[in-house]
Amino acid sequence: MRDTRKYLRFPLSYRIEHWLLVATFTTLAITGLVQKFAASGASQVILRLLGGVETTRVIHHTAAAILMLEVVYHVGALGFRVFVRRTHLTMLPSSSDVRMAVQALLYNLGFSKVRPQQDRFSFEEKAEYWAVVWGTLVMAITGFMMWNPIATTRFLPGEFVPAAKSAHGAEAVLAVLAIIVWHIYHVHVRQFNKSMFTGDLTENEMIEEHPLELADIKAGVAERPVEPLALSRRKRIFYPVYGVLAAAMLFGIYAFVTLEQTAVTTRPPAEDVVIFSPLTPTPFPTALPSATPLPIIGVAWADGIGALFQSKCIVCHGSPSGLGGLNLASYAGIQTGGASGPVVVPGDPEASLLVVKQAAGNHPGQLSGEELALVRQWIEAGAPEK
Amino acid sequence: MKNHPLQGKLAAAVGAALLVAAALFFISPLGAAADGKPLAPPSSQVAAEMMTRAQTSSLTKLSPPDQGIDNETCLACHATLGLTTELPSGELLYLSLDRATYNDSVHGKVGYACVQCHTDITGFPHPEVTAQTRREFTLEKYTACAACHQDKYQATLDSVHQKALAAGNTNAAVCTDCHGAHDVQPPDQPRTRIPRTCERCHSQIYDLYKESVHGAALIGEGNPDVPTCIDCHGVHAVEGPSNSPFRLFSPQICAQCHADREMMAKYGISTDVFDTYLSDFHGTTVVIFEAIAPDQETNKPVCIDCHGVHDILPPDNPNSTVMQANLLTTCQKCHPDATTNFPTAWLSHYEPSPQHFALVYYVRLFYRILIPGLIGGMLFFVVVDGVRRLRNRQSRRKERGDA
Repeated sequence: MRDTRKYLRFPLSYRIEHWLLVATFTTLAITGLVQKFAASGASQVILRLLGGVETTRVIHHTAAAILMLEVVYHVGALGFRVFVRRTHLTMLPSSSDVRMAVQALLYNLGFSKVRPQQDRFSFEEKAEYWAVVWGTLVMAITGFMMWNPIATTRFLPGEFVPAAKSAHGAEAVLAVLAIIVWHIYHVHVRQFNKSMFTGDLTENEMIEEHPLELADIKAGVAERPVEPLALSRRKRIFYPVYGVLAAAMLFGIYAFVTLEQTAVTTRPPAEDVVIFSPLTPTPFPTALPSATPLPIIGVAWADGIGALFQSKCIVCHGSPSGLGGLNLASYAGIQTGGASGPVVVPGDPEASLLVVKQAAGNHPGQLSGEELALVRQWIEAGAPEK
Repeated sequence: MKNHPLQGKLAAAVGAALLVAAALFFISPLGAAADGKPLAPPSSQVAAEMMTRAQTSSLTKLSPPDQGIDNETCLACHATLGLTTELPSGELLYLSLDRATYNDSVHGKVGYACVQCHTDITGFPHPEVTAQTRREFTLEKYTACAACHQDKYQATLDSVHQKALAAGNTNAAVCTDCHGAHDVQPPDQPRTRIPRTCERCHSQIYDLYKESVHGAALIGEGNPDVPTCIDCHGVHAVEGPSNSPFRLFSPQICAQCHADREMMAKYGISTDVFDTYLSDFHGTTVVIFEAIAPDQETNKPVCIDCHGVHDILPPDNPNSTVMQANLLTTCQKCHPDATTNFPTAWLSHYEPSPQHFALVYYVRLFYRILIPGLIGGMLFFVVVDGVRRLRNRQSRRKERGDA
């Protein structure tokens, strides 16, 4: 049997709509689900490919806006067919769809010998179309709430926003699964239906899938005749009405997209504090031993000069066998002097080796200027013991 | 209708794959998470780092030397009180050392020699001091610590302090600023010593911390569970706000304690806070940034943006930023146009239930029933249809074979 006769199922404009829907749906599904399942490794790979989560959100929002524009077009095209061309309302569900679904199930289960004879749109196709209408509506409303939470909470309790988020995500999962199970099976697995590519179905395919429509086509009653005068009269009413409606919808989309700036782009500092604010006075790495002044009460060995030498000198010069044979631990040691001779010349500080060495500086156990001045006074006074 | 035999097989194979995929969905965690269940905390290097931070490390021990210059030789002069030398800057460099202070330090107790740190000193006269200022002198000397504490020193190289120092900020803390030089004591004994140490340079932050729920518990009660500075910022590789990943990963720092059931049970604090944050828009975004763009800034908040940083208060404190009455002001920090109802758009760390956020709870419940119900129905319909078609094809083939 040759199967050359073809029947136009989807004109080009329908096909363009379909592929636009495929493109936006797929984009929205991918960019949305990777956010919903953000912890999964696969999501993160995709998010990275898309250029990060913020870019992914821009893509998601853009696809949503394109889908909404497609809805505006679809409403117009549909309105034209219904109100101007007055075509048969082939997509409208009816009780016969339920009967056909039951019959199909009975046939498939083997309880009936007869397959349901379907019209232009089978109950499977109607179910899918109206599911898309329902899903798009839910996604648009919940999407609006997520996109504009501040505007939403001006009128609704805050709780609506997380509820919208839950519904949006769950509806997405439902939609994607429905496409995978229902659409892919009926259009690609059961038999590969090429009409969305070519626009046509063959006669055999028509007999298999849409026998009632085929009968109508053959009987010449598939399309209602249109009287040219009535057509142009209806057009004159339809175009302005749709124009207003489309303008309203476009304004709605514009508002949807631009209504609010939800959050600041640069977060304010979490804390207002001066980070480097040292305690005053700034503590030193090591707590300082307090510089207690030596108890020098007078210019005599016993009144403090001896104690000064005791603290500064006796580590090296503290016994007769001390460095340079000098012992500054006792007054007698001063009188004795060291290997280089006397260290103190009573009455003449500048001739005293002790002063000469100390005045040169950099002597271990260096006396401070104040201390050296006291030693000078003591020598000038004859270096008294008491 | 003629079918290529391959097409039939292909159809059957695709159908089977679909079924498996759908079945997997319902048993997989993907299916379970369909209503936005919390995401698992991602493991990250930063988190792992934080776990090991507090651990002590190996120490290259230099035993106290037998030869060389005896400490008493140094102390002969340096034990002298008030010993100083004037630096070119006009500042005095203090040269005195209290023998008892050193002997009481961790190093002194073990008998480390002065020259083990002061390696440039081999006798007298000492090499000339080249530092212009007292700070310069410190900055020249502190690297001596690296001889024994190499790992700690290496860790500090990644710290905010070293980065500031490298950028020319000589105030940035080096080893001795926190530990001391000659009077080194165990740095965490008592535990209150830790924030006190940081206070020396960060007194304003300390003043905030000591009033916070954490600081007050540490200082007032000696509570061992609350974090000190280093529990969040790290010890030697100190991290701070100038480091973007530090902020991004900071929820994981909070989670170390706040997701610890045993610890939180002591204080009656919910451990859901972390998971509920992650399942929210803010937390999800932060998790994605952590995973794929840890160096980038995000405007989404982490814990501290709402709860405060060093001045965190319990949520029932009237001054808490997350107290019901103050929540709108807190939201407005990032959402300046927010109005009265806006704060309840945030689930306040609640898992939705019939009592809290009932609408969200019932929406999720609705889809939890609807999705398996509807998709299950579709699957049933599709499978039955597919089986019927295969049978029809088989019987047609048989008829043809018979004929």
